[in-house]
Amino acid sequence: MRNTRRLFHLDPLSRRLARAEMRDELAFHLEERVAQLVALGMTPDEARAEAIRRLGAAWADADAQLEHSAELKERRLNVRERLQEFADDVRYALRGLAARPGFTAIAVLTLGIGIGANTAIYSAVDALLLRSLPFAEPGRLFDIVQRSSEDGDAAWSFPKYAFFRDAQKSYQSLAAHGPTQTIITGTEPERVYAEEVTTAYLKTLGVRVAKGRDFPSELDAAGGARRVTIISDALWQRRFNADPAAIGQSLSFNNQPWEIIGILPPDFRGLSGRAEALLNLTARPADALSEPWSLEFSMIGRLREGVTAEQAVAEAALIGPRIYDAFPMQGGTLTTSKKPEQWTAEARPLNTIRVAKGLKRSLLVLFGAVAMVLLIACVNLANLLVARAMSRKQEIAVRLALGAGRGRLVRLMVTESLVLALLGGAASLAVALAGTRMLSAINPQDTLRVQGLTGGIGAVGFDAIRLDASALLFTFLVTVSVGLLFGLAPALGATRQSLIRDLKDGSSGSGRRTGAGRRVLVVAEVALALVLLAGSGLMIRSLGKLLAVDPGFDGRNVLTLRLSMPAGTVSPDSMPGFYERLQEEISGVPGVEQVAIADCPPLNNGCNGTIMTVADRPQSATGNAMVGVHWASQNWFETMRVPLKRGRLFTAEDRLNAPKVVLINEATARKYFQGEDPLGKRIAVYQGGFHTGAEIIGIVGDVRFGTIDSTAVPDVYISYGQARLPRMMVFVRTAGDPSAMAPAVRAAVQRVAPLAPVFDVRPMSARIANASAQARYSAVLLGLFAAMALSLAVMGIYGVLSFAVAQRTGEIGIRMALGAERGRVLALVMRDGAILAAIGLAIGVLTALALTRVLRTMLFEVTTTDPLTYAAMAVVLAMAVAIASWIPARRAARVDPVIALRKG
Amino acid sequence: MLKGTLDLLVLKALTLGPMHGFEIVSWLEQRSNGSVGVDDGALYYALHRMEERGWIESEWRLTSNNRKARYYRVRAAGRAHLKTEGALLEKYARALVDILALRTS
Repeated sequence: MRNTRRLFHLDPLSRRLARAEMRDELAFHLEERVAQLVALGMTPDEARAEAIRRLGAAWADADAQLEHSAELKERRLNVRERLQEFADDVRYALRGLAARPGFTAIAVLTLGIGIGANTAIYSAVDALLLRSLPFAEPGRLFDIVQRSSEDGDAAWSFPKYAFFRDAQKSYQSLAAHGPTQTIITGTEPERVYAEEVTTAYLKTLGVRVAKGRDFPSELDAAGGARRVTIISDALWQRRFNADPAAIGQSLSFNNQPWEIIGILPPDFRGLSGRAEALLNLTARPADALSEPWSLEFSMIGRLREGVTAEQAVAEAALIGPRIYDAFPMQGGTLTTSKKPEQWTAEARPLNTIRVAKGLKRSLLVLFGAVAMVLLIACVNLANLLVARAMSRKQEIAVRLALGAGRGRLVRLMVTESLVLALLGGAASLAVALAGTRMLSAINPQDTLRVQGLTGGIGAVGFDAIRLDASALLFTFLVTVSVGLLFGLAPALGATRQSLIRDLKDGSSGSGRRTGAGRRVLVVAEVALALVLLAGSGLMIRSLGKLLAVDPGFDGRNVLTLRLSMPAGTVSPDSMPGFYERLQEEISGVPGVEQVAIADCPPLNNGCNGTIMTVADRPQSATGNAMVGVHWASQNWFETMRVPLKRGRLFTAEDRLNAPKVVLINEATARKYFQGEDPLGKRIAVYQGGFHTGAEIIGIVGDVRFGTIDSTAVPDVYISYGQARLPRMMVFVRTAGDPSAMAPAVRAAVQRVAPLAPVFDVRPMSARIANASAQARYSAVLLGLFAAMALSLAVMGIYGVLSFAVAQRTGEIGIRMALGAERGRVLALVMRDGAILAAIGLAIGVLTALALTRVLRTMLFEVTTTDPLTYAAMAVVLAMAVAIASWIPARRAARVDPVIALRKG
Repeated sequence: MLKGTLDLLVLKALTLGPMHGFEIVSWLEQRSNGSVGVDDGALYYALHRMEERGWIESEWRLTSNNRKARYYRVRAAGRAHLKTEGALLEKYARALVDILALRTS
């Protein structure tokens, strides 16, 4: 017996193998037979019964084996086997994708761009809005501001800060801080950003010095304290070669010695994000800290253990009015508003001011837009997969008839879309990397003008945008959801059980239901594309209006550069002479037409300002007249082409000891001198020694010193001849390209002031461009996304119509054989596209009207319902759709009836 | 069908080249215009029997549409069997036809 078995190679193992092989063999045979019978017209059930009958006992034999092993399999099916099955599916999917390189390439590219753009914007959102602040227990950090009912958020003066500090009970630690710029004097003069801070600054934030020690708290007691500084790691590396002996050494800021007591950790450069040194604020002389209305500091506080945010907010609201009572406004005040001005204090989590509101909104809008692009991409892929599933209908039906589980088939098809999505996700990393690099290179301080007291904290910067673990996780999650999203629907649709007709003839079945599904997808695509087009159209129109704004001066062919005079380089009394020498020296440079000086450039996102009072006006405590205060040399207005409206400009006669004079702009005249002639009136401004009063000698045109989209505010100009100021901006009007003149001008400045650092050398046109940079970034990115949406939608329509034409070739052939003209066939297909487009446009317009409302605050002089924009975008989309349908329509019109009929 | 003829028909089919079971059935049905009806189950029993006898051998391969199928190929012993048995059967069949063709007045 044993020998016989050996003779026939039938030991138990090989017998089982043989059985298993036989089962597979018969299963294959059964499939082939069923397909054949079905093709001959049997229903799947009949076909299966007949096929089994023909196999007879052989099948019963194998079938029993099959059932038995299925049972075993089910019992033993472990993770590994499932993985194996999954691996098989993946292999199958890859083979399928490799067999259609065109489709695969388009899908991977679409997904790669779509997912990559999403990841890039997500990393920006994560870095700028989501990631927790890089401080210990950031939830307990609060930013406290003063609030005026007239002017909104305001900063603190030292006396007011001290009042609040002593009155509050909510914070375990409070600190005042303010950004400043200073010059490291000595062998290599260097201009650096710094922060003036009170001693508890680092303690409040929870930052420890890397080396040395923190500020000793006794320094806070009064002004005129010891000059001590904690320098940044970068400065330490740069100027001290990272020598630990730097601690205790003296560093010269502005020609004054400061003792270095500590080094900051490498990743912390103050809340401004760019400080090279923290300077002890109370090192200022006592009289430079005693002015209660010199509002220049921000305040941060760390909540005491157990104090809630509500308590802190309530307390600030209580203390605020008391501060105003303690330090009432000096002198007379005036206001045009009827309600008396209220001052209070407001505490808010530091996290809420991490970025400027406008930036946050832009980011969220872009995030929404880019998600819509991805959605359209998904719709497109779903469309392609539905088409592919329809072409596989017969194969699927046979598999179903043979008893393949629907779940198994769905899993197979979804695996395919997941593999596709993962390939796209992998490709997207390149796009995301490029995108995050681009975004992190944006320097908001220089290009977006996001700064100032409420403009966000520099510590949360664009340079924190990177492709990190969180971004990769995001990519992965999006990729998987996308794969499921566009894969599941077609898979479920294709495996629906009522497919007898599909089995009978796979070729001509038009699949009306899935066809309808695809049409719905196209309508959705058109609608989404219109939403994006409308949004970007509005932004672009707004940008156009922004660029058309007259800023009040002519910035063409003007070179600007900043100059700081370290204390002691020029004696204060000789400053006027210095200004003149400087201007003369620069005028001597060939190609220079005019040279002027002012303290603050236009479009600077705000300049220095203070309170103005008018002589002989009844004093009242109802409010304060805030004005911008600008220093200007006598020829600045002419150089910048700022028109003189009335009176006269400054002259050389307006010297230090001559009667004090000021110029005002038209906004000041309008707001504070309604119905009066301001010329000859005397006003007092609390800066530059002009609190004693000065005569208004002229009115000049409004210049926008703030942002390009905010109207000019009341401004007062003071002459450099009458008030010393060690900071200045030089404006050089040139005959040719101002950038080309920069080296010569810089050299001229250096000849007059060798110790003064020259920086921020830029043509005025670049400053104007920067003023609209945020709007331009938003408009360009939204426009880009809209263009992607448009092209995807066009591809979608083209795909659906081409497929429909291919399916209707027979019908079209009959129509033409019966005498239909080519024009009519063309119209037939075009009408198909037009109907889809019209429905999509209608839905899109309604959706856009609802959604673009989020753009309201980002738009300049354009309403979110701007009819022109909507009309233009609808036309653009309609034309794109027309082109997309014309190609398949022309193909339909060229159908040769003979060939079509023979095929049909 | 006569006993043993199925083996010969299958061997004959396989001399055209390797085929899987369904191809063999289809070929036979086609060549005989459907008059030689082969029971699918019997075919596989025959195939496996012949394989055990060493007349044919099998191998799993991919079909033109990438499906796995068991292909059979005729071996030398199979060819020899087809030659001898085939000749016998042919002689027998011809005799049979001759007899049946005799006109009986």
